[in-house]
Amino acid sequence: MTRKTRTPREELVARLNAARRKNSAPSSKLRLLGELPFGEGHTVGRYAFGNGLTMLVLPDHSAPVLSFHTWYGVGSKHEKPGKTGLAHLFEHLMFNETKHMRKGVLDRMIESAGGETNAATWTDWTHYHSELPASELPMIAKLEADRMRHLVLRDRQVVSEKEVVANERRYRVDDDLEGEVSELLYATAFTRHPYGWPTIGFMRDIENFNTADCRRFYKTYYAPNNATLIVVGDVEEEAVLRVVQHEYGSIKASKIPPLRAAAEPEQSKERACLLTRPTPAPKLALGYRAPSFRDPDYVALALANDILLGGRSSRLYSRLLRDEELITDLHGSIAPFSDPGLYELWFSLRPGGVLPPVLRIVDQELSRMRTEPVSVRELSKVKNRAELGFLQGLETAGGKAEQLGFFEVVAGDAGILFSRLAALRAVTPKDIQRVAKRYLRTGRRTRISVLPSEGVSLDASSDSEEARA
Amino acid sequence: MTERAAVARFVTDLGTVVLCEEEHSLPLVHVSVSLKTGSVHDPRGLSGVVRMCTRLLRMGTRKLSATQIEERIDAMGAHLGVGCSSSYVHIGGVVVAHNLEKFVALIGELIRSPAFRVADLSRVKRETLAELAAACDDDRSLAARHFRAFAFGEHPYARPIVGNSRSVKAITRAHVLRHYDKHFVSENAVIGFAGAITPLRARALVDRHLTLARGKAPTESVPVPKLEKGRRLLIVDKPERTQTQILMGTLGTHLDDPDHVPLTVANVVFGGLFTARLTHEVRSKRGMSYGASSSLGHDRQRELWSMWTFPSSKQAFECAELELRLMEEWIKGGVKPSELRVAKSFLEKSHAFEVDTAQKRLDQRIETEVFGLPEDYHSGFTARVHGVNVQSANAALKKRLSSDDLAIVVVATAKDLRSELAKLPGIRSVEVVPFDRI
Repeated sequence: MTRKTRTPREELVARLNAARRKNSAPSSKLRLLGELPFGEGHTVGRYAFGNGLTMLVLPDHSAPVLSFHTWYGVGSKHEKPGKTGLAHLFEHLMFNETKHMRKGVLDRMIESAGGETNAATWTDWTHYHSELPASELPMIAKLEADRMRHLVLRDRQVVSEKEVVANERRYRVDDDLEGEVSELLYATAFTRHPYGWPTIGFMRDIENFNTADCRRFYKTYYAPNNATLIVVGDVEEEAVLRVVQHEYGSIKASKIPPLRAAAEPEQSKERACLLTRPTPAPKLALGYRAPSFRDPDYVALALANDILLGGRSSRLYSRLLRDEELITDLHGSIAPFSDPGLYELWFSLRPGGVLPPVLRIVDQELSRMRTEPVSVRELSKVKNRAELGFLQGLETAGGKAEQLGFFEVVAGDAGILFSRLAALRAVTPKDIQRVAKRYLRTGRRTRISVLPSEGVSLDASSDSEEARA
Repeated sequence: MTERAAVARFVTDLGTVVLCEEEHSLPLVHVSVSLKTGSVHDPRGLSGVVRMCTRLLRMGTRKLSATQIEERIDAMGAHLGVGCSSSYVHIGGVVVAHNLEKFVALIGELIRSPAFRVADLSRVKRETLAELAAACDDDRSLAARHFRAFAFGEHPYARPIVGNSRSVKAITRAHVLRHYDKHFVSENAVIGFAGAITPLRARALVDRHLTLARGKAPTESVPVPKLEKGRRLLIVDKPERTQTQILMGTLGTHLDDPDHVPLTVANVVFGGLFTARLTHEVRSKRGMSYGASSSLGHDRQRELWSMWTFPSSKQAFECAELELRLMEEWIKGGVKPSELRVAKSFLEKSHAFEVDTAQKRLDQRIETEVFGLPEDYHSGFTARVHGVNVQSANAALKKRLSSDDLAIVVVATAKDLRSELAKLPGIRSVEVVPFDRI
């Protein structure tokens, strides 16, 4: 009988578990879940602790820095009508006081160490990240573990943070035309699924939150078994695991309620809305019901988007901006959500422009994509662009950590990060045509049109330096 | 060609500086061509010429049309950007390493043989006018655009880089050509490479593709800017605003000013961190604005120190009044030793993130060359920060910043806020311009 040789990572796990005290909580016991290849010569160690905390470590010694990310599997889709925006408000509250630290101490410690910290919330996740000199690993692990377990929520902080979030909403939505249109687009396209409400929340909901709402949310979702830690940087894997085991090992798991998000019924007819706003030129937003990020069709549809409007030689850019000179700006993207989302397109017209010719050209190009296979050359062009974007996302420790965390939480496996590149390279002209036929149909579309308010027209009598001169 | 291999800096026989930052962790190469010219060189009354010239580079060469250029860039899996600031022009981007030679050859063709066709000029002018209109949708950029013009008055720093409707319409091919011939010359250029490339390869690529016409860098100097006396308020009037954008500022320092680093540290104390005074008072304590920060601009001549907030319309007066009070207290009372320690620690330790990629290291070196700064300007930054003490920071504050002479720009619905904002302490004049005047 031959004895299986342990890999270095298995040895590491055995060593760390052996070093645990006899009375250590089972929650601190470490398991190796696997090793993920990460580019040439690198692998990511994927681990889990007894309390359900998932941990990814990628030593990267190219610069003396460290990126520490915590992804919680909770976002706006976990909210309820009337309580929209709670996940995002909570992201703000996580920077407040804990049982051991006054408000502001966390930020002050990170800034004094030369670091930066921030967070983001979207439909499926909430993500906290800190970029620090590599020597600050023990400090950031202690701070993050402390706020996972010991956050203090008082009325005064909730009231103040609600005011900040209300101002953020004014900035991103109420006084930002594209933000306002995007909110309406999703609200119109999704009649049942939580993707229909905005992550930042409706103003009336933000105003009505109370401290009890926040405490309930924290107790439910901020737990090790709903979190993934990612550490990338100039660190030794053993040191990372030891610190994390020490700081997080005794935190208890929570009972995470299963999410039963209402399924969105199929859409068979186009939905349309019209707004009038103080803007110098019309806008057009389109949203086609799209596959989830996990769906194999996602990659092909992403390339279809690039064929349509990725780069200046793309089909819609060439026709609408360069040849016909109908628009000033256009962009499109497929929502990277864990449930089916939207393929969004945005067109900002030139002053005096009208919407029908723009829509006609968009429809012509979508029809062309459904009926004619793209050339191998055109497909190869967008694949090259996509590959460049992929590599650029991995230039910094923070970029690598973000990609790993995103794939782990949204795709369910960080290992998919690199297989996505292979999947992208394997897309054929037939795949593009197939996804165009399946997803890019008018019946699956929501359309928001914006027209300038009466009285808003361009005043070209500039009084700046030239006019005064 | 002479070579200082240790720092991978070459000077070509025609006087072009070439820099290389080698780093092979990813198969990517960043390429950059910078020219020591910017909107400060726009002829008076013709703002936008330099940017127009730069944009026309990718609109067609003697051999290639704009369509062919864009096809080639996209087919290579490259990203190319052309940009223009007050003081320099940049053409460059990033490419997967196996397409580097093709990419550099294309950049070379764009900068060495642009066609500057009249039809392309007309097209770019139409695009620019449409972009000027589109910018009216973004309240923050509206505030920024008006702020520089309002603060700098007749100085070249006031010139809008994009131009305005009148100047853009007046630009001709002759204006563009004149600028190109004078500024796109060998001694006025700095070329940089970062990523999966050796200095030897960089040298060969420059020789083959990036040789500009022989010529000395023009020596036009930018005058010293002055700010009008008193506190002046400009309201950019936009209907239906629930929120305001407030920018206020005064003259700061120039890059080589001995007060620049002490003032940089003092600014971090005031509004450069999340825990800084301004952010703490406006956002953390009162929740008045989602963002509140201050920044110190830098250029050859004195740039602006400014602070930015965006409170709701209801709280605009209260927020602006608070900002003015905080600024006065900061200048008069100076920074405290404990605050200075945090600011210095942040600047010294966070420097690791200024140099953690080859591209960032290259950008620092390009800036050093373009602005003619001492060789150790960036590498010696942390040592200079370390040398700042309470006395030097507070002396720089008092010497360089004035809370009496301030330009204040607010994007707001004027009918709701004009009379209230006019009551801000010390306001000498109030102007209102419509948001859609371009």
